[in-house]
Amino acid sequence: MNTPNLDAMLEYVRKRHRRSWRGVEEARAAIPARFDAIAEMFLGWLVKACGESGIPLAVDAFVQFTTEVNLAQARYEADGHYQNSSFAEVYADHYSQDEVMSGYLWGIYLTNFLWAHHAEICVFYRDYFLNRLSPSSQLVEIAPGHGGWGVWALNTLPQACLQGFDISNSSIHIATEVSRAAGYGDRARYAEKNALDLREMAPQCADGVICSFLVEHLEDPRQLFAVIHHLLKPAAVGFITGALTAAQVDHIYEFRYESELMQLCEEHGLRVLSTLSVGPKRLLPNARFLPRSMALIVQKRIADTF
Amino acid sequence: MKPNRTQSECLERLNEIFRDVFDDEDLIITRETSADDIAEWDSVMHVSLIIEIEKAFGIRFSSTEVAQLQNVGDLVDLINTKAVK
Repeated sequence: MNTPNLDAMLEYVRKRHRRSWRGVEEARAAIPARFDAIAEMFLGWLVKACGESGIPLAVDAFVQFTTEVNLAQARYEADGHYQNSSFAEVYADHYSQDEVMSGYLWGIYLTNFLWAHHAEICVFYRDYFLNRLSPSSQLVEIAPGHGGWGVWALNTLPQACLQGFDISNSSIHIATEVSRAAGYGDRARYAEKNALDLREMAPQCADGVICSFLVEHLEDPRQLFAVIHHLLKPAAVGFITGALTAAQVDHIYEFRYESELMQLCEEHGLRVLSTLSVGPKRLLPNARFLPRSMALIVQKRIADTF
Repeated sequence: MKPNRTQSECLERLNEIFRDVFDDEDLIITRETSADDIAEWDSVMHVSLIIEIEKAFGIRFSSTEVAQLQNVGDLVDLINTKAVK
């Protein structure tokens, strides 16, 4: 397989960010048959959106973001709680700051496949979520961030359309750029909106809902699950991910157990079809917490129990 | 105000920390030492190292400072900048 963008990225990491090399090798080993194709897909969109400078820009952002996460996890180990607990504080310091958000989003974009445990989520997303959707699905992406998950869905489903809503103006800008770079600008529409206000949308409008790593950013995640239930058609499916005991400067709701996310789904009319809970192989010495990422495929119930 | 340290004192103290963190009693670092020279110096161990340095020197680093460090020399300079504040 010809992978010019992946090759360029690997060369840049090897030369400029030696400390990150081991993690990149782990990610390749985590999904050996699929890593190259997934990485080249994401990197190809990045280069089309940002030009050749997109790779060093995103890798630098990835290293900064990963350092921030590791440092936040170390502080969490010492303090026993996340740094922030208020959405208003995080919004003022992060989501409303275009300069902060731009680097942050491109950094997260690369974590999709450069963090080994997130590379596993990519495979789970493709096999257990995208494979369930029809080619002409109407999709809603809640808090698309960089837009990569939704654009991947459009790449897989040739007649699908997607509406994405995010509270950050930077997210709308970058997700729009990624969708256009991938050639799906005519099937993706993004708007600045608080996820919790999506209950104003027409009910049962979505064949699929994508909501990646939002729940831990909310003071009360229950409202989000009510929104997902509101948007999904009966028996339609959703892809939800969340972070457990995984600190980040803008994580405010601390999930400790996988069952907490499953319970939130079940309490809000969503049947849990499949789950994946993954964590990094390398931890801080004497770690008390395993920072996990959990992915769930859910289906809107049509009866009391199914 | 915290007492200023000479660069050699700082390097000496850092060497002790590096030996502890990387569990290598024979490790000798210089200003030029980087992740190219210590195989175990990855992104996770880097933060572990930073936390031990913060404790030892009574200072605190930002994530941007931590991410930008290229070698031990950068670390010595940053510690000294913070120590004189």
